[in-house]
Amino acid sequence: MNAILSRFAASGILMVWGIVLTYFYLSGRIASYLHPAFHIYTVVSGGVLLILSLALLLTMNGESSEHGLSRVGILPLLLLTAPLLAATKISPSNFGATAVLNRGMVHNIADLPGFSPPQDPALPSADGSVKEGTMMDPSLYLKRNADGYIAAETVDLLYAAGEPAMREDFENKQVEVTGQFLPALTGNPNGDRFNLTRLFVMCCAADARPVAISVQSQSSTDLPKMSWVKVRGKATFPVEGGRHMPVIVAESVTETDAHDESFLY
Amino acid sequence: MNTPWFSFSVQDFSYAFLSVLLEGVPFILLGTLLSGLIDQFLPSRLMTRFLPRNAFAAVCLGGVLGMVFPMCECGIVPVIRRLIAKGLPVSSAVAYMLAAPIVNPITALSTYAAFRGQGAAEFTALRLGLGFFVAVLAGLAVLNLPIGAVLKKTILESVTLSGPSGDGKTAPLGRRLVAAMESGVRDFLDVMVYFILGVGVASLFSTAVNQELFLPLSLDDRLAIPAMMTLAGILSLCSSSDAFIAATFVAFPAVAKLAFLVFGPMMDLKLAFIYSAVFTRRFVAALALGLFVITGLLCLRLAVVLP
Repeated sequence: MNAILSRFAASGILMVWGIVLTYFYLSGRIASYLHPAFHIYTVVSGGVLLILSLALLLTMNGESSEHGLSRVGILPLLLLTAPLLAATKISPSNFGATAVLNRGMVHNIADLPGFSPPQDPALPSADGSVKEGTMMDPSLYLKRNADGYIAAETVDLLYAAGEPAMREDFENKQVEVTGQFLPALTGNPNGDRFNLTRLFVMCCAADARPVAISVQSQSSTDLPKMSWVKVRGKATFPVEGGRHMPVIVAESVTETDAHDESFLY
Repeated sequence: MNTPWFSFSVQDFSYAFLSVLLEGVPFILLGTLLSGLIDQFLPSRLMTRFLPRNAFAAVCLGGVLGMVFPMCECGIVPVIRRLIAKGLPVSSAVAYMLAAPIVNPITALSTYAAFRGQGAAEFTALRLGLGFFVAVLAGLAVLNLPIGAVLKKTILESVTLSGPSGDGKTAPLGRRLVAAMESGVRDFLDVMVYFILGVGVASLFSTAVNQELFLPLSLDDRLAIPAMMTLAGILSLCSSSDAFIAATFVAFPAVAKLAFLVFGPMMDLKLAFIYSAVFTRRFVAALALGLFVITGLLCLRLAVVLP
């Protein structure tokens, strides 16, 4: 490629990247890839790349420094654009069962990234009762849906399994939890359990760790892997393998739409 | 073992690939914009004036630069490429490149937060201290190497050619800004080629390899340390968040996690490709091997004092 074509090629590459980064942000697709703290960097970079792309064209006639643009070959041009565009097209914006199973499930709250043991809670009053409106009052942090089920996340039940005080808030209560279905390959002696999974992310999807709780149900073994399901049932915490494990004894398991926020942070 | 050790899915691969690209590109762009400005506005004589004449002190200063001018591992390569062209000794540049992703405030804070309740202060100090020490050792090792064996031919030529450029007292500001943009764009395109290749390989391994394979190795320090360093190399995590992942490997001893957190930001599959934008392949391979062995041996030694 001669110098002018190379400049067009460089400008084109920057434009492709700028458009893709801006597209991911504006379409909201970025939420399936990055922690919210990184979204702003993506759109700013997209804008800067678009500006650079235009600036390269507008300064075409200006004198270049001796360190100016080098020639852009066909191979780098393809390498810098084709994989990005192909991945943008192919990527389903979520992990399938293969990658999730390869990462191994987090079944213990102590294995959750960023977990730190909870501080001692404030003491209840002298007679052991919990005053309404205090930090100990579960009604402040346990939200119920219209049917009276506690709306919980998989992580809440994992925390509850590891914390006696929190376990009391959930144990034998009716809960509703949404997550992704995966067959239980271990800890399933009677063959009637599956894993309800959510991905926990620190920075981007590449560091996602699958967080899973068990659901005991007779009627859900033929669901597609990683399909989103809403589980309603009773939260239990049987001791298995020497520690409390969260198991929802399901009343109903229904397929549902993907969560707006596919990750937990 | 219920799942095979290797199972590939193109959808999973493309998803992980895109997520790392989207996360990393802003930092590479920042690094390359900075490199363009260094190219045009940092006088070469400034570098030589402030660098200590003593080689050991200059290498140590390279490590300290990481604290003063923190950069993540993705963005630092274009910066050191320009700094080398401006007269920073390669040994100091290598020390800076390896230390900067570890000895910076963001990494320190994230390590402290991730290891709360697990001796966070000691662990953070050990990570930063060991990272600095290994980076300086690597820089000192480079001191004894001929520059032609370290730098790629094109980079070597740019060092030779750079001369007084960037001191350009006579060039108008507008022209220098255009030249800075062109230098930055050139660095961006050069580094991105290697970044894409590295992210591709890292994404393949991080999605297709069954990571539970590493668990049986956690029982013995001599196996756990290299296993965790290998895992760090495969996962190619960002140094600002890798501590949160390392802390979750509860089955592994603390020294193995330390090895993961020192080796990972210095060398992983993605970085091996990015380093190849500046250094010879043979040097990158030797650096990878050297960092693996030195970090591993130091951590094994620390196993005596660290539970």
